[in-house]
Amino acid sequence: MELAPENPRLPEMLAEELWRVAGSELVEVSRAEFAEALETIGARDNYGLDPEKQANERQRETFWRGLHLEELAIARGCALGRESAWRRFLAQYREQLTRAAIEMTGSAALGEELVSAIYSELFGLTEREGRRWSPLLRYSGRGSLMGWLRAVLAQRRVDQYRKIGRETELGEIEPAAAVSEQIEPKKLGDLRVALKMTLSEASAEERFLLSAYYLDQHTLHEMSRVLRVHEATISRKLKRATERLRKQLLRTLKARGLSRRAAEETLGTDPRDVDINLRKLLQKSAGAPIPDKEGEG
Amino acid sequence: MNRNLQLGIHPDADKISVFVEGAATAREREKMLAHLAECAECRKAVFLIQPHEEPQRVTATPEKGWMWRWLVPVGLPAALACGLIAVLVYIRPHGVSKTPQPMASIRPPETERPGPTAALSSNLEQGAPTANADRAPSINSEQVTGSAGRQDGLAAKAATNVSRQERPMASGLNLPTSKSEQATANVAPQKTGAAPSVVGGPVTDAARLSDGISTVTVSELPLNGRNFTELQQLQTADTKGAASQNALAGKKELPALQIQAASAQNETLAGISGRITDRTGAVIAGVTVTLRDATGKKRQSTTGTDGSFHLMQLPAGQYELTATASGFKTSQQSIELKPSELAMLQPVLDVGAASEVVEVAAGSSAVAVQTESANVSGQAVAEMTGAHRAITLPSGVGIAETVSHGKRFLSLDDAGNLFLSRNGGKKWKKVKPQWAGNAIRIELTSGSVSEAAAQKPKDETSGAAGEGAVFLLATDGGTVWSSKDGAHWHKQ
Repeated sequence: MELAPENPRLPEMLAEELWRVAGSELVEVSRAEFAEALETIGARDNYGLDPEKQANERQRETFWRGLHLEELAIARGCALGRESAWRRFLAQYREQLTRAAIEMTGSAALGEELVSAIYSELFGLTEREGRRWSPLLRYSGRGSLMGWLRAVLAQRRVDQYRKIGRETELGEIEPAAAVSEQIEPKKLGDLRVALKMTLSEASAEERFLLSAYYLDQHTLHEMSRVLRVHEATISRKLKRATERLRKQLLRTLKARGLSRRAAEETLGTDPRDVDINLRKLLQKSAGAPIPDKEGEG
Repeated sequence: MNRNLQLGIHPDADKISVFVEGAATAREREKMLAHLAECAECRKAVFLIQPHEEPQRVTATPEKGWMWRWLVPVGLPAALACGLIAVLVYIRPHGVSKTPQPMASIRPPETERPGPTAALSSNLEQGAPTANADRAPSINSEQVTGSAGRQDGLAAKAATNVSRQERPMASGLNLPTSKSEQATANVAPQKTGAAPSVVGGPVTDAARLSDGISTVTVSELPLNGRNFTELQQLQTADTKGAASQNALAGKKELPALQIQAASAQNETLAGISGRITDRTGAVIAGVTVTLRDATGKKRQSTTGTDGSFHLMQLPAGQYELTATASGFKTSQQSIELKPSELAMLQPVLDVGAASEVVEVAAGSSAVAVQTESANVSGQAVAEMTGAHRAITLPSGVGIAETVSHGKRFLSLDDAGNLFLSRNGGKKWKKVKPQWAGNAIRIELTSGSVSEAAAQKPKDETSGAAGEGAVFLLATDGGTVWSSKDGAHWHKQ
């Protein structure tokens, strides 16, 4: 990828040192190729700083040194089609990758199938703008290569699951339809509006916790592993979020003309109804604030 | 755009993995959470990435751990209190006998103005940590963090700025936790001072990290979170112990951290030990064992008469090990060494032309095999990979030296403790020192040593050193001890 002229270059001495530390020679990645990769990644991620900040020389150096350099060299070597890089990749990751795929699919056959699909992608069998393109070019070295591979596997698995299991999944949420008939349409409308207002004020983390816990029914333990905090912390945060949500909902409902008792009653409707509303409110996929797109590397 | 997932813009695998591994910046994390709250597919992917729970690893508790845990908070104050009570009991009868006064007349003044007893009890209060409990209610964890932060503003900054996701835990926990976090952050600058001993060797992640920190304040780091993760890794059982001692020791924080830094450095060194045999199980002497690190730097050793070789004091990292002997095929192995581990290898060399290469790749977590020689059978490959095992001594301290005879391994750690394994390194037991001072060197000799030869080890069948082979040990006091089984030692 061509760098914009204003992008700072990697100092030659540092480039040499990082190239050596990464063992790039062993995976047939030249100094220039490795330096280019580091510069691209640094510019793309703004050296780990917020977009409005400008990194100084020291911060850039710290960013580059903090990368998983050896794994980055292997990924680059593989993306460039170097045989020794692939040998190393297979030696280090083949078994782990297969194990992870089997874990995710819950079946050896499906796992093998998923892995072989991933391999063909990683080998760069797809073409972009007439050039061979491997998703390994997108690996930045900020996380581990195995973590990146797991993320690719998970994305492809979700895609498979979506293709196969959409009908089944939607079927699972039917019971609320019967219950909702018993609720006054006005009350349900008020609740929907109140929920929409309340949720729009909730923080990103709170909304994630609510979605993961109430919609996806993940356990506190699972959530704690994703957010890397203790499950007691998740429990406390969830409790705080739901309490705040409840108070806010009551306030909003009262503001819409309901008495305190009526507002309490509205909130006391079958939780599955609230759940449906939440699903509708939270589960809109458009407009997600992630600017990066896969495949730009 | 990720064309496979549902319509809309989704984070790519790199962004997701950076988030999942806790390496994202606060801004990136916020964006990711906002997206995950709304996107069921990405949320599902994020939960799928989590590896299945492995059974909890049982780590050996350091020998002195329980003593420190109990002696420092309970034992020392208790001992101090006992001593003072004894002094009191000793002094008071004498004092009373000299100026006999009725008890009723003594008591009221004691409460009103400080007499000798009151002075003693106030001393007791000042000396004993329990006295701090009087002031404790006014001190919450935040205040303590703040005051400690004044002592070391850099570390405090790091503890608060480094990783957003760790904050809830810190705020939810009590004083020792926040202290230990600070201690963890403090380790890095201390460690930097010790790191240059690895000059010229392959630079490990941790060493690189500490290099970065030596020149940049931690709070300045454009933290992608990973640096903090690395710092956390230094917070081993030992450092945790040291940190909790710091909480108790209060002002004695710096020396304790220096100890932490030293132990952290020891833990980065690893070793490789092994024995080379042919297909019949016979040991091969004179095999050239070459170890090449990721930078291409080589270290060489030659197997002794018992076919064993030892390469110690190695920084953790990826290595290529090559065993070459004339008349045998060359064997190559890829090894990943983790800090303070001793990799035990038992390469088996096949008879053949020296130019033929057998390549084996092995890691401590996963073992993947690739062979380039068509002559190697599947069974041979299994034997070779199965033979590789990485172990850690129960003390958790780095290994200084290891010698072996048969399945009997003797290992000396950096703290001077001696450990014995009778089953090829699977289980280790600390050898009770029968000598004064610390052991500094161990050796295996085939020469005859009178005292050792006179020994009759009880378990000869379970692999005690065979005919003529004797373990020797040198202490820092200049004495030499010998043993035939590694457990019973005799002074030379």
